[in-house]
Amino acid sequence: MSFIILVPLLPLLAAIIVAIGTRSSQTRRAKIAAYPIGAAFLGAIVALWLVATQGPLTIRFYDPSSLSMLALPLGFYIDRLSAVMMVLIAGVGTIVYIYSIGYMYQDLHDRRYLALIAFTVSVLLCMVSSANLMMLFLLWQVISCLLYLLAHNHSHEATREGAVRTFTLLRVGDVAFLSGIVLAHQLYGTLEFQALFAKAAESAVTLTPLPGIEIGGATAVTLLLFIGAMSKSAQFPIHIWLPRSLYAPTPVHALLHAGIINAGGFLINRLAPLYGLSSTTLHVAFVVGMVTAVLGATMMLAQNDIKKTLGFSTIGQMGYMIMECGLGAFSLAVFHLIAHGLFKATVFLSCGNVIHKARQEPAFPHADPRAEEQEFSRLTWATGFLTTLLIPLVILLVSHGVLHIPLRDSQGTVIFLFFIWVTSSQAILTLIRLRAVASWKVSVAMLLILLFVVFIYLFAVESFTAFLYPNPEEVASYFQAAALPNWLFDGLIVGTALVIILGWFYIYAQARGQIMWVPSWVDGLRIRLYVLFMNRLYVDELYQALGRVVMRVVHRIDKRDTRWS
Amino acid sequence: MTDLMTTPLLLAAVPIMGAMLGLVVWSQPDKLKIWSVIVTVLSLLAVIGISGQLTETIEGPLFLYLLPLAAGISLLGGPVHQQHRLACVLTLLFLGLGLGILTSQQVAGQIVLAILLGLITFLLYWHHNPFWPRSWWGIGAYGVGALCAGLAAVTGPPVSAQASLLACAILLPLVPFHHGYVSALTRLPGSLPSFIVLLLPAIGFHSLVAVIPMVPEIAVSMMTILALVGALYGSIKALAQSRVRLLLAYGSLSFFSILWWFVAVSRTIMPQAVVFLASVALVTSGLLLTWQVVRTRYGDDVDPQAISGLFRRMPQFAVLFSLLALAAMGLPPFGVFAGFMGMLLTASLTSSAALLVMMVAWLAASWYILDMVQRLLFGRERSDLRYEDLRRSELASLLIVVLIVIALGVAPASLFGIKQQPPSVGAVKESVSWNR
Repeated sequence: MSFIILVPLLPLLAAIIVAIGTRSSQTRRAKIAAYPIGAAFLGAIVALWLVATQGPLTIRFYDPSSLSMLALPLGFYIDRLSAVMMVLIAGVGTIVYIYSIGYMYQDLHDRRYLALIAFTVSVLLCMVSSANLMMLFLLWQVISCLLYLLAHNHSHEATREGAVRTFTLLRVGDVAFLSGIVLAHQLYGTLEFQALFAKAAESAVTLTPLPGIEIGGATAVTLLLFIGAMSKSAQFPIHIWLPRSLYAPTPVHALLHAGIINAGGFLINRLAPLYGLSSTTLHVAFVVGMVTAVLGATMMLAQNDIKKTLGFSTIGQMGYMIMECGLGAFSLAVFHLIAHGLFKATVFLSCGNVIHKARQEPAFPHADPRAEEQEFSRLTWATGFLTTLLIPLVILLVSHGVLHIPLRDSQGTVIFLFFIWVTSSQAILTLIRLRAVASWKVSVAMLLILLFVVFIYLFAVESFTAFLYPNPEEVASYFQAAALPNWLFDGLIVGTALVIILGWFYIYAQARGQIMWVPSWVDGLRIRLYVLFMNRLYVDELYQALGRVVMRVVHRIDKRDTRWS
Repeated sequence: MTDLMTTPLLLAAVPIMGAMLGLVVWSQPDKLKIWSVIVTVLSLLAVIGISGQLTETIEGPLFLYLLPLAAGISLLGGPVHQQHRLACVLTLLFLGLGLGILTSQQVAGQIVLAILLGLITFLLYWHHNPFWPRSWWGIGAYGVGALCAGLAAVTGPPVSAQASLLACAILLPLVPFHHGYVSALTRLPGSLPSFIVLLLPAIGFHSLVAVIPMVPEIAVSMMTILALVGALYGSIKALAQSRVRLLLAYGSLSFFSILWWFVAVSRTIMPQAVVFLASVALVTSGLLLTWQVVRTRYGDDVDPQAISGLFRRMPQFAVLFSLLALAAMGLPPFGVFAGFMGMLLTASLTSSAALLVMMVAWLAASWYILDMVQRLLFGRERSDLRYEDLRRSELASLLIVVLIVIALGVAPASLFGIKQQPPSVGAVKESVSWNR
């Protein structure tokens, strides 16, 4: 089984093949390098099969009892989570690399770019298969550097500034991550995953960071590590690096949005047993994720640039994924990040063609709004309304009444049902917005979407959860740790349900040309909010102002010191 | 006893004799440079040959290996010019004195140290510029350092320990005794600063190993506070600098302050601290050499704001400069990160505020170093500038620095014979107060 360590090494070999050689053989070498990356993908699939059938694999090139000694703690721990992530990364990496060969053909910097893509895939594969927290952190930082190099066009003045900001923000996350590691080592004396989980579970340590304030050891560690995860997964308010990096070649975004940005979600899942010990951190994650999901999605709606729209869509989805972690649905978060990764990689790889097509056909993709209005159909609307509201209600009643699933006591089950419902509503609302024509085909499509989403989620709930976390008690313990107060949980569900119902009525009224009375202050507020979200809540400007204040203080101190000496 | 006497003499004699013989080719700077590099290689060979007979210390023979290497690198990376002849000879002289101090016994070592500091004081005075009044502070600091070393040689404890500690604070810069270090890095001629940056802190650290068990509790508390202030002060000053050498001086001051803090907290010298010091000094030395490359091409008084766009036209320089910058920011797999991480994991940290200061200093390094890299490498290309990539000797010197710093990060114990200690930190069993 030791051959599995070749999986992360093969893309490294590809990077070396691309980077070293003459300019004349560049194209040939670029094509040859695709084979090792493809082989890594096949190897990742084999690894997944092996760890699924034979259990986790551990390979260490260091002494685990002396992690803090003078040695690089190089090792691999490949379990089902690692293997799933390896398949995703190697798969997307292979597609992105092959696409990039053609996309970057005859570009001045194709060698550097292709080598960095292959190297990034290698680092990501090593990161998800790290044997300990220390090695994970080492590679985590390398990813920060690669993002700085890869996701920015350094010959573009404005982007260069963005690159510094990206790196600085990622370093803030790195510092928090490092503090978490140091604290974990101080409290539990190890950074080996399994030993760390075991020690954290058996020793309840209380810290006093400030007089009068007490905090659990596991909470302090997980909170610090969570800040690290926030930075990589672009969570509010340290999300601004992602939209800033949109000047890079399109395939970089495919890799970034499908692979690198998932690092935060992976970290939380890797440390799930540790996070399961701290309800506070899970609740913080839930709030941060929810705020990011709402703000990301809202800012996405107010953008007028396709790449920025996709960038904010990713931020929203990452918020959604972190929110799932905060609810204790760790396997759902992994499932989400895989689905999102594949979807976003496809969208980014094809967005260049869409832009190209739009330039050739100025009317594309906008249809005539009047035509849309005329095509409004009660049949379509009613089907959508019923499928998103009535069928889920029936499912809920059946599961509670017939199958005797204790919904009131089981937030976990409700969470899964809730996500099924929200996702299907989102898909159907999108469909009706795009094709609100009177057609049985559209109505059938809605029902099929609902069925598709339900089956996919059922798979996620049953098979995927059982695959990643075979012990049902473990899954239940995470839900228990993440459980929100009942009034809050019910309030959130009712609130979201109201938003969806109102959405349907709004669509109906708008399509029928009916005027909805709203107070004038709401109208004014709507315009202000639109401007606010279009300008991304002025968070970039706030950071700039903060940077200016810091530098002003720094220069004042420097001047005083110079005068004194 | 004979060995104790002959080893330092032999190690010191090779470079000092080399310096004297170098005067023969004084009128030919190119030959002087080649000769000086050969002498540093011979010194390194001498160290390797004798290393088996040396008394075992916590830092092992690491500094003894690194000093000739750093001297060789500084000489190799420096330009061939009449004005740099003195720097060549002095590098060899200082190398000899440094090797002597590191291998000799307490009293003899202190006397040689007093001579070395006296020489540097004289050099700073010689190169004093009325437009740079701050160098008086540096001259004063090294003057005091020389006096302290002399005092430590002639008196007994506790006076000798206190004098020695003060000399350590001047050599391995600790606020407010850092002016000598800053002046040396900015005012000394030629490639001397890139050697001094390792020589003096290494000697200071070596002296600290002997002194630290004798330091009273009150002095340790003072050291802790000064180290924390120094870490922040160094970062703030580095952030405010536009001049590269000052930025590097204050940046390394901040990192050395971190080292002081760990020494003060643990009251012992850990192998990780040795790796950290050696890496910080070497990386700073490498960055000073890269700046020397720029100065060689665009003049000694070049304004860093005026140079940009080196990335495309000087790719070798850009790659090596970037690697050194990454190392200076404390990123893996370089020695600075390995040492910093090792110290953090082995030291017993009881103060969240202190940890916060360390982290702020570490984070700030990313800011000011990256700013420097951005300005030099990625700015707009200037059509009026002549871009010339690294010459072979410059390339070799920078490459060696990068390789050593990587080696220090990956496997310092096996490569440099650093003595490992078992980790002292264990799992905490009960509630801890973490609020000092």
